[in-house]
Amino acid sequence: MKTLRTTLSALLLVSAFSLVTWAQGAKSSAKPEAVAKPAAKPAAAQTASNPAIQAIEKRKPRLPEFKPQQPVRIQLENGMVIFLQEDHELPFIAGTVTIRGGAIHVPADKAGMNGLYGQVWRTGGTKDKTGDQLDDFLEARAAHVEAGGGTDSSTVSFDCLKNDFDDVFKVFVDVLKNPDFRQDKLDLAKQQASTSISRRNEDPGAIIGREIRKIGYGADNPYVRQAEYWTINAITRDDLVAFHKQTVHPNNMLLGLVGDFDAKAMEARLRQEFGGWAKGPGVPKPRVAFKDPKPNVYFIEKEDVNQSQIQLVTLGLRKDDPDYYAINVMNEAFGGGFAARLFSNVRSAKGLAYSVGGGIGTEFDRPGLFRLVVGTKSETTGKAIDALYEEIDKLHTQPITGRELDLAKANILNSFVFNFDSKSKVLDEKETYEYYGYPLDRLEKFRAGIEKVTLDDVQRVVNKYVERKKFALLVVGHAADFDKPLSRYGTVTPIDITIPTEPPGKASAADEDPVRESNAEGKTLIAKVVTASGGAELLGAIKAMQVEADTVANTPQGEITLPTLAISVYPDKSRVVMQAPFGEIVTVSTAQSAFRSMGGQTQDMPAALREESQKGNKRDLIWVTQHANDPKFLFRTGGTVKVGDADTTILDINADGVGLRWFVDGQGHVVKTAYRSVGMQGPTMRETEFSDFRATDGLTLPFKRVVRDNGQISATVTVKSVKINPEVPAGAFEKQ
Amino acid sequence: MKSLRAVVVAAFFLLITVAVQAQDVASFEKRTTVRKLSNGLTVILMQRAEAPVFSFYTLVDAGSAQDPKGGSGLAHMFEHMAFKGTPNIGTMDWVKEKALLDKVEKAYLAYDYEKRKILGRDEKKIADLDAAWRKVAAEADKLVKLNEFGQLVEEHGGVGLNATTFNDSTVYYYSMPANELEMWAYLESERMLHPVYREFYKERDVVLEERRLRVDSSPIGRLVEQSLAAAFVAHPYHVSGVGWHSEISSVTATDAHEFFKTYYTPSNITLAVVGDLQVEPTMRTIQQYFGKLPAGSKAAELRTVEPAQNAERKATLREPGGQPWYLEMYHRPGYTDPDDAVYDVIGDLMSNGRTSRLYRTLVRDKKSALFAGGFSGFPGSKYPNLFVFYAVPNRNKTLDDLAGDFKGEIERLKSQDISDDELKMIKTRIRADLLRGLADNEGLATQLATAQARYGDWRELFRQVERVDKVTKEDIRRVANKTFVANNRTVGVIDNTKVEEKKAEAGKEGN
Repeated sequence: MKTLRTTLSALLLVSAFSLVTWAQGAKSSAKPEAVAKPAAKPAAAQTASNPAIQAIEKRKPRLPEFKPQQPVRIQLENGMVIFLQEDHELPFIAGTVTIRGGAIHVPADKAGMNGLYGQVWRTGGTKDKTGDQLDDFLEARAAHVEAGGGTDSSTVSFDCLKNDFDDVFKVFVDVLKNPDFRQDKLDLAKQQASTSISRRNEDPGAIIGREIRKIGYGADNPYVRQAEYWTINAITRDDLVAFHKQTVHPNNMLLGLVGDFDAKAMEARLRQEFGGWAKGPGVPKPRVAFKDPKPNVYFIEKEDVNQSQIQLVTLGLRKDDPDYYAINVMNEAFGGGFAARLFSNVRSAKGLAYSVGGGIGTEFDRPGLFRLVVGTKSETTGKAIDALYEEIDKLHTQPITGRELDLAKANILNSFVFNFDSKSKVLDEKETYEYYGYPLDRLEKFRAGIEKVTLDDVQRVVNKYVERKKFALLVVGHAADFDKPLSRYGTVTPIDITIPTEPPGKASAADEDPVRESNAEGKTLIAKVVTASGGAELLGAIKAMQVEADTVANTPQGEITLPTLAISVYPDKSRVVMQAPFGEIVTVSTAQSAFRSMGGQTQDMPAALREESQKGNKRDLIWVTQHANDPKFLFRTGGTVKVGDADTTILDINADGVGLRWFVDGQGHVVKTAYRSVGMQGPTMRETEFSDFRATDGLTLPFKRVVRDNGQISATVTVKSVKINPEVPAGAFEKQ
Repeated sequence: MKSLRAVVVAAFFLLITVAVQAQDVASFEKRTTVRKLSNGLTVILMQRAEAPVFSFYTLVDAGSAQDPKGGSGLAHMFEHMAFKGTPNIGTMDWVKEKALLDKVEKAYLAYDYEKRKILGRDEKKIADLDAAWRKVAAEADKLVKLNEFGQLVEEHGGVGLNATTFNDSTVYYYSMPANELEMWAYLESERMLHPVYREFYKERDVVLEERRLRVDSSPIGRLVEQSLAAAFVAHPYHVSGVGWHSEISSVTATDAHEFFKTYYTPSNITLAVVGDLQVEPTMRTIQQYFGKLPAGSKAAELRTVEPAQNAERKATLREPGGQPWYLEMYHRPGYTDPDDAVYDVIGDLMSNGRTSRLYRTLVRDKKSALFAGGFSGFPGSKYPNLFVFYAVPNRNKTLDDLAGDFKGEIERLKSQDISDDELKMIKTRIRADLLRGLADNEGLATQLATAQARYGDWRELFRQVERVDKVTKEDIRRVANKTFVANNRTVGVIDNTKVEEKKAEAGKEGN
């Protein structure tokens, strides 16, 4: 994070007109993250059809032996790790301290905090100096001290002429240890963050870059959580101070310096500065579950474009995967460079695109994303999608050839020296391995790893990872101009990127604006629902109901199917038995008590959950329809809204003091309910969609339910049978 | 484009700290060799033994400003063709392919002539001619080895292979391991010696996609294109470098070759190579390969000089679904003007970092802008160009707020001297930024080639500092007063207010 340079935004203007031969951002980089000692023998060049080239090949000298200078590694008693890399070419010294703790450690309702934290850490000044005073002091010396908040870490860095080191290093340490996070700068940062949110749908490339990550990792994944107006509003100075206090301890830090200094003297200096700093608590990584995205077709309409942005996505791999080298070679042949299949076939041969690329992405501590990317005019959207699928299929039907393999390996190995052609690159690599707990000699292994890759290896990883039906497809574009409807590729799920001004709960929960009075339309609509469900008489005769179903629950470990038996005895008793792999889970709720038994242990629910559970009984579909004419139940219609393909009318309900919202379709079926509740994970906006309406015992009831909490599917329930007024076993609602 | 400008700006202040400067220039002198080959090609070689690699930067002194009338985007089209290979690279059978390419061109020209008719169009004939050239082109395509040129670069360890077409120049660059010097010299000289127009008509489609990406589907791209069209009425800076859709989609390989013959003469090309190389062997290799380029005279410069602007202009893009943008642009002279340095000082003062005036006033104090800045040399700097102020408003602020804030800051610049501290800070900062840019082969090659092409001597990079040292507070006021006047202004905005709101406002005024 450099100083806020106006050139950054000037670049926006200039880039509009910067015509480069190809947009390299689109290509998957086969560049290893590692640097290593080059082998003396270069990989044989592969194209030798041309005599001039053959002759040059023959007399080509060997690349001289080159051992890049390694940084010195020091670990202080308090756990702080320091790397020092001397570089005397220019009279500068620069350094960065990386501190564990970032966006993934920020609660969902404060998403965006790490960005504000990084900004205000510096602009908010220190105990002794305001940020503005620091700006004046540093700029007069052409020096920088900056802070930044990242995904899993935050950083403080400096950069100065070596003669100013003493002055600037003092500021660096002061910013690191004693930030004040002044409120005025937090206010400014929050205003800027809000403006940035309001502008996030400006550029199609930015939209697809963001949304494809949400599809690939899941929108609630802490690695991709998105700031919203209300999450920014919720952030306070105390939050920033607390985050600093929680994370800034020497044992969570990695400091790297590069520049015109003497390493010995610098080590002494740093030991003196940081040696006495006491250890603090660590910052453990949250456990995050990753699973492949649903292979759906997603679409985002953007009216002011004549070019579609298209991406296919599924999960990639971690860098410590044994297949890492094989996929690097596959990537290079498939989407790596000028001669790779995607560039040659989709761009050069078909003329469909300017930017095209793809490959299996890798990350250090989590799977990367495997993406295929293309931009094409609206009128060839379908053609370009077909071309991507065709290239995926061709990896199976026309496997990578020996020649392609040799070229890919030559590309990677012969350019290998560029991974360590500067001292700061070597430093960066070492620091990255240190930070993620990878062996520091990973560098030395990269070359051998690539050399060993065979055709069989490449075909094996193709078979293992490259599968057409695993990919989700996302298109951002103007659908009216498309050559083929996207429905050719599957059921299209539109993504609404309208920027919400309020949390999802607020917009649809009647709790915020309780219904105090029924309106005439509301009374008419509930009567329609009663009729559609089977009529008041049949509904009124229901005293109890037993439902047998399969519940597919989304858990951090993945999807689990739980056979479920639920009995409700109106008005206020319910018992749910689920067969989990590790045994039965029984949940009981009555007016008197609420408890859960599993694995022979019975636990009373916390008060808040018990209360919610009781409210849940009151929100029961049958219960509400039974009270269509009860003066304690109030019904008020809202606007109309689409749920799936159905046009629905909103019906806000006050069910004897409990709020909820229904979405009623033209036939009088309740196709969706929504309400705010408290779940195991805290406040939840729960939305349930109902479908598969079937006649049973004269009633019409939904046999399928999809439950979403805060927008994420938490369970899918498929009903197998419904029994009205079943026999209820004795003691069903008592602790066993 | 950006780095080029930064270099020139930064160069002005290099000599201010004498101790460091003396060491730098001496060190540069020792490691830098300039030769002019007998065919007119200028070669700069700088030794830098950090690692066994080198980078090069070939600057052709012709960019999209040299696009012929009716052929906007041609410089860029040629640049794309320079990746398509040669008679020896990228083909399965050059003799057959050449014959087919000649047929394609003839058939295309016939189609093109017919298609452009306004009176007496024969749609059937057009369709037949269209099908005819496409058929031959498809035949020719079968003989292509796709992207063999790029493949050769990459398999020999080349990284960062790319090229850029600016308004003022076209540049080619990548880096290679040091032992691939001869392979590089062969590949780079061949593409300048024997360009072929392989897949030309398909590559137009690729370039059209580039236009859609950068201009049509990008709000900033649309704004910049319209604003430049308003700011320039005569000079080629009027047209965006990628060109108009109708012209990109109808330029011919014949046009591209004409462009090549006119501008890709050795006397119009500067080549800088920086890395771990020995001077004499390297120069010999360069002479051996690049010496083959046939000599030719440097093309004549443009006739057109943008006439003085004598009326304020405005480009307003009404995009109710979009986001607001604000640009305010003023004409200034080209880079050879004696006041060039003054503009650069003004740009730095106004927009470099959190101490800059626009940051402090618009972002920090008035909170009207998310970001704001100002720079000159847009869209090029060789010819009289623009000083551009830009900003985007914060959520609760309007374009009018920004216009007012810029007015205030410009007034201050015109009526009050800047402080001694500000001037000193700017000089220190720019000098350091220049030094920071000297730490890698790619950056050095870019800077050396650019300075050599612009001033005829790479040392100008350092010498210009003397001129900058002479910039005074009075200069800043004088130039601001001369430049930042209403009749010399073009305002470009994306206005996203809804039409109804506009009407309501108009109604109010009417009352």
